[in-house]
Amino acid sequence: MSRPSARKAAPKGEYIETDSGNKVSRRSAITGTANITLGGRTVIMADVHLRGDLHPTRAAPSTSGKEPITTSISIGRCTVISTGSVIRPPSRISRGEVHYYPMKIGDNVFIGPHCTISAISISSHVHISHHVTIHPFAMIKENVKILPHAVIPANMVIPSGSVVGGQPARVVGEVGEGWGVGGGVSGGIGGGEKGGEKGWVEGGDLRELVRSVK
Amino acid sequence: MAQPFPYTYYSCDCYDSKVAAAPTKHASQGIPPAEDEDERDFDPRSPGANYSLYPLEHLLYCEDCQQIRCPRCVVEETLNWYCPSCLFEVPSSVVKTDGNRCTRNCYNCPVCSSPAVVTTLEDPFDPSSSGGPWLLLCTYCKWTSLEIGIEFEKHTGITAQLARLGNGGRTIPSHKEREKERERRLELDKHKSRDILSGSEDSPTTDKRDDGPPSHDDIYANLSAFYKSQLAAQQPSNPFSPHDINFSSPSSFSRIMNLYSSSTSKKQKREKPTPMREAASPLEGLTLHSPSTDTAIIDRLKTSGWSRTLSPAQKLAQMTPTVRFTSDLRPLASILCTKRGKRCRSCRHILSKPESKITSTRYKIKLLARNHIPRLSLRALHTSTSASASATAAAAAILPFNYDSLRPGLPIHFLLHISNPLFDPVRVTLATPSLTPGRVHTRVTILCPQFDVGANTDVWDDALSGSTDTAAGGLKRFSASGEGGAGRGTEGSGGAVEAGKIWERGRNWTSVVLEVVPGKDGKA
Ligand SMILES: [Zn+2]
Ligand SMILES: [Zn+2]
Ligand SMILES: [Zn+2]
Ligand SMILES: [Zn+2]
Repeated sequence: MSRPSARKAAPKGEYIETDSGNKVSRRSAITGTANITLGGRTVIMADVHLRGDLHPTRAAPSTSGKEPITTSISIGRCTVISTGSVIRPPSRISRGEVHYYPMKIGDNVFIGPHCTISAISISSHVHISHHVTIHPFAMIKENVKILPHAVIPANMVIPSGSVVGGQPARVVGEVGEGWGVGGGVSGGIGGGEKGGEKGWVEGGDLRELVRSVK
Repeated sequence: MAQPFPYTYYSCDCYDSKVAAAPTKHASQGIPPAEDEDERDFDPRSPGANYSLYPLEHLLYCEDCQQIRCPRCVVEETLNWYCPSCLFEVPSSVVKTDGNRCTRNCYNCPVCSSPAVVTTLEDPFDPSSSGGPWLLLCTYCKWTSLEIGIEFEKHTGITAQLARLGNGGRTIPSHKEREKERERRLELDKHKSRDILSGSEDSPTTDKRDDGPPSHDDIYANLSAFYKSQLAAQQPSNPFSPHDINFSSPSSFSRIMNLYSSSTSKKQKREKPTPMREAASPLEGLTLHSPSTDTAIIDRLKTSGWSRTLSPAQKLAQMTPTVRFTSDLRPLASILCTKRGKRCRSCRHILSKPESKITSTRYKIKLLARNHIPRLSLRALHTSTSASASATAAAAAILPFNYDSLRPGLPIHFLLHISNPLFDPVRVTLATPSLTPGRVHTRVTILCPQFDVGANTDVWDDALSGSTDTAAGGLKRFSASGEGGAGRGTEGSGGAVEAGKIWERGRNWTSVVLEVVPGKDGKA
């Protein structure tokens, strides 16, 4: 029986927990912290690189004053970014200058290990498997599953409810009506790892998974 | 869809018409295939099983039939069409007239299927007034419409521009122009034949310009015009003509009624309709195979090589699947998607109905199987050091069990977890062949084949129904479990694998241990 209270007493943990319940690994690389917002109960695992330093600048670069602080990455609630993933806001070159665009990631999004994400937006309840590459300005709508090793081409819009895979990725199927339903409290209460049931389902509420991250 | 191993698939027995005729109640039973196994054995390895095995989230449940409903035993009805790329809804009337493709600026690369973007070719040092010329660019494989010789004047209305632009910049005639051209040629042909009949040899045949074999569109336009003219010829000008054989037309109906009402009921001699003739000339859509086009294609293959030819997938994605070379490619307008409702195939009740708004992901009706049948999951059991469970769990978290390296002859324990969504307790009876079929005979033993799974009662109901004393206890237990601890109200063998005993039990779930002894390769 593994009780959380026993674990909290453990020496200096892997994660720093913020007031709103975000868990950020001490081994993650976060640059431009001021430009990043985390919704709460979101997990940033080890070796994750959040490029908050690549933030949008004002259209008139001639003003030599201080650059206003703008959000470059905003991540919702109960979202998990797994080991080794890189989150890099998309950019576009216009008139010889690189312009970054703010990236938005929704709630209950699971990003698997070793992904490179440059999407313009990822909506809620999206499950991204491992080793997925999302090229700049791709837009991923709600309830999407991205299969391992998929490469999402730039500017692609993935409609909600799709399963995508391949290089370049295309829509290969639809998630069932039951996508993301269950898990959480009703599925494996008291079960935990011990009960053989993981307390969360793909695309579902990730609270249980976030809680299990220690 | 690809699931992380090990996964659970549910078998829908709709493939078996015998079962469909006499529906059996699965609602209070365990695993559907476990039932009436005397009558039939479900073989998950048979190729046909691919069509009856589904993950739980793809299954719906018909409350009237008390059956799970898989994608094969539902009927779908389209609620609306939309473009997956621009997410605009397309009215069904437009789908009927313009086909199932987006008519906005949504195009895909004909080489790799990625979305293509409209970009400018404008010289930054010599800007044009329109900002163009424009082209379609695939940002994934870097294909551009310049490769097929297409440039656009405007960055909007790509579909309209493409309709007039052939590969290499040649103009595609519009429907009307085509019609005119055909009329002109038909006239010409008539003149020609008349001239030949009258014996004059100097007919103006030089007019016939030779621009290779007619395009797919030309052939189609010619054929459809030909058949239309044939149909028109069949339609008599006089509605009471005896040649009118169209039984469903109002004219023939009135004619027949007239026949019967008249006192003279003599049988009218029914004339056989003149059969419609088939296309007889290229202007009527006839295409004759010419060996010269074949040799031209072979010559082209020799000069341009394999790299200039198309893969089957690229070919099939094209509007005219007869194309062979990369220079024949056309950008692909994105194919529309649908939002669909689902009905039970046998009783027609609605099982799922999404909200019709494109942006909405909610459902008006959604009857999921997971709310009606137990959920099963299988996982390897870590029991090496059961004394310090937390240490094992931590080790397991770091080093996940490798399901790909089961050693023959070495027993492994798996945990089968069954959770009950129903508000009544269920009794589960499990069965397995002692040796798995197939090449590798693996011995599977269910240590506890018969057990109960508790009802999915509300935790609060549970607490309130008891006496105040137990209620307090229940609340306390709940809060403890809410923290994620596994300690609440669990009972079982408590760490030791023992035959005939369940491993662990919770409010609405039970887990039992399976012993698996992987077999050796049958051939070895
Ligand atoms: Zn079925
Ligand atoms: Zn579109
Ligand atoms: Zn391409
Ligand atoms: Zn039904």
